[in-house]
Amino acid sequence: MIRIFDIALKDLLQLSRDFKTFMFLLIMPILFTFLFGFAFGGFGGNDDSDSRLPVGYLSQDDHWITTELHDLLAESDVIRLEENPFLTSFDLEELVANGDLAAAIIVPEGYGRAVLKNKTVRLAVIADAGTQSWTTIEAEVLTAASRIDGAARTATIMEQMELEGVPFDYAFEQTLSAWDEPPISINETSSLAIKQTSDEGNALAHTSPGMMLQFAIAGLLTAAQVIVTERTSRTLQRLLTTATRRIHVLLGHFLAIFLLIFTQFTILIIFGQYVLKVDYLRLPGATMLVAFSAALCISALGLLIGILAKTEEQAITFSLIPMFVFAGLGGAWVPLEFTGKTFQAIGHLSPVAWGMDGFENICARGLGFESVLIPSAALAGYAVFFFLLATWRLSASEEK
Amino acid sequence: MINVPAIAVLGLHKSFGGNQAVQGVNFEVKQGEIFSLLGPNGAGKTTTISMLSCLLRPDEGDAHVMGHSIRSDPTGVKSVLGVVPQDLALYEDLTARENLSFWGKMYGLRGSKLKLRVDEVLEVIGLRDRANERVNKYSGGMKRRVNIGVALLHKPKVIYMDEPTVGIDPQSRRNILDSVVALKNEGMTVLYTTHYMEEAQELSDHVAIMDHGKLIACGTHEELVKLVGQQTRIDLTLNGDSENVMGAWKNIDGVSRVSSEDGLVSVLVKDSNQILPHLFEAAAQLSIRITSVDIREPNLEALFLHLTGRALRD
Ligand SMILES: Nc1ncnc2c1ncn2[C@@H]1O[C@H](COP(=O)(O)OP(=O)(O)OP(=O)(O)O)[C@@H](O)[C@H]1O
Ligand SMILES: [Mg+2]
Repeated sequence: MIRIFDIALKDLLQLSRDFKTFMFLLIMPILFTFLFGFAFGGFGGNDDSDSRLPVGYLSQDDHWITTELHDLLAESDVIRLEENPFLTSFDLEELVANGDLAAAIIVPEGYGRAVLKNKTVRLAVIADAGTQSWTTIEAEVLTAASRIDGAARTATIMEQMELEGVPFDYAFEQTLSAWDEPPISINETSSLAIKQTSDEGNALAHTSPGMMLQFAIAGLLTAAQVIVTERTSRTLQRLLTTATRRIHVLLGHFLAIFLLIFTQFTILIIFGQYVLKVDYLRLPGATMLVAFSAALCISALGLLIGILAKTEEQAITFSLIPMFVFAGLGGAWVPLEFTGKTFQAIGHLSPVAWGMDGFENICARGLGFESVLIPSAALAGYAVFFFLLATWRLSASEEK
Repeated sequence: MINVPAIAVLGLHKSFGGNQAVQGVNFEVKQGEIFSLLGPNGAGKTTTISMLSCLLRPDEGDAHVMGHSIRSDPTGVKSVLGVVPQDLALYEDLTARENLSFWGKMYGLRGSKLKLRVDEVLEVIGLRDRANERVNKYSGGMKRRVNIGVALLHKPKVIYMDEPTVGIDPQSRRNILDSVVALKNEGMTVLYTTHYMEEAQELSDHVAIMDHGKLIACGTHEELVKLVGQQTRIDLTLNGDSENVMGAWKNIDGVSRVSSEDGLVSVLVKDSNQILPHLFEAAAQLSIRITSVDIREPNLEALFLHLTGRALRD
């Protein structure tokens, strides 16, 4: 049993001596994720780690109520206030149109005083209504403005109550009337910032798992070569003259490729999460289950390639073909949902399609843990299929 | 255990398609001896070794290695066996030390015992200084030495060496031949295959000559040489007319045959030391100069020629 680990360790040592391994498993997928990411939508200028939506803020009022509003907005989890006293409302409008800001809030002069007098002075908001980001921003600004308004009215009522004992109806009506007119007004514009953030997010949530899966198969270029070398250099024969059994050798190779690819997945998932902002770790258990079964499946495929290939050149060809076929068919390049029903069905012949489903259910579609169970089971099924095929081919080729 | 033969081969047969690679081979190797299988390319040596190491299943026949049957107890066979394959079986992208460590583990060695043994083997194969270089940076001879070293790690009782000296420099060859003798001195049994008859002659206690899948002769060096007769051949080149002198030599007592081919005169004699002066004397009387003399003691090459009508290396 322990020989399986010895063999796996030996394989990993051999693989680590080959620069190509790192090239295929890490450098290429990262490179291609960026490349495809650009092709799908490009990147915003901001690359700081603050993922809140940038919202311009211009105050033409210096009342203390306005300062309260500003502080409420500044504490938000979803928007980040961009303040520059030198910008006019006209500049802000342009920034939103250019996509440098997701929206802009302009507090008009007299806002604070009006709030205290229970008059309605609306906040002006420049944004592209109807987008997802807008919904988020709108809710946030509305909440802040309403809290200020509500607080002011309550305070006024309390004041009046002390003076003359105001009837309940009056207080109630006053409070309710605050909602008659929403305290903000939207100035519509077409914002690129909103489009970009959402598109970029979607594009990477697709290309990141796509490239990860594709280049995991590319990693078989070197991994399968180790097995081919094992056979052609007669070391396999020699292993069989020791007490090592054939199944130990097979499992050892399998374990080595599995560890290699699972590590690759882990590194790329962490990279995707923290650098590309693809939310793999929303459900870490689910993502890792998909990674685990995808690694099982691809290592079994690697084993099969290593056993079918007669030469190292063949090992390369045999790895490249499934890489392109499985990745292309499985929607690693163009999402399968952009294609027709028939193609989607055919695409799911490729294990990559299941891997994509699994990862995207978590990082793009926001589904729950149970959504990765079927994709993971499908991947595990492919793993068993490839493994059995490999075992069968090996015994067929060795028995004379 | 003490008295069983190290290897007992009983009627092994193996065909590849229509090609009968091994056709009924029988021989016995005693414990602690060096036994050579001598034969030309394609004789069936590697096929025999492969069956004896349980890599190939024989079509017919059986063999016992230290009492373990290759048919019914391959695990037992493997436990007493070290195999040096004809083709290098190493991981070229790993260093010699990493290779030995890995193979040691495959033979069941671990920890400090493994480390100690790897160092010992590196010493034996003379590669201690360069142990941490990758094997693909080594010369052919050095690779062969590592290839042998691997089989020594677990101190096997029986070791097979399949043409370990093919295509290497004289220095490495010497090192290998010496280490084979050293193994024997440590009590190991060595089954050695080669197509160099000098090696078989120098090393072996017993030699089996193999050709076309069959053993055509088997015995000690002396026994085999007797098969060609005790005659020594003296090859001479002469300066002048050879006809007369050949007639004179035929009449010398102890000369059994004189023949000539391409200006080379061959004389078959019982004892070259005694006859040689008479050959010179007779030539001098006829004013003929002898320009070269080559004495060929009876050897395995001659035996092979005698048995098959072909030279060993054709
Ligand atoms: N795996 C195989 N498949 C088919 N034929 C084989 C196989 N192995 C050996 N042979 C054939 O069996 C015969 C004996 O080969 P073998 O390798 O045993 O010879 P050998 O004595 O070791 O020769 P050499 O000195 O060249 O190593 C040859 O005719 C060879 O072509
Ligand atoms: Mg051979």
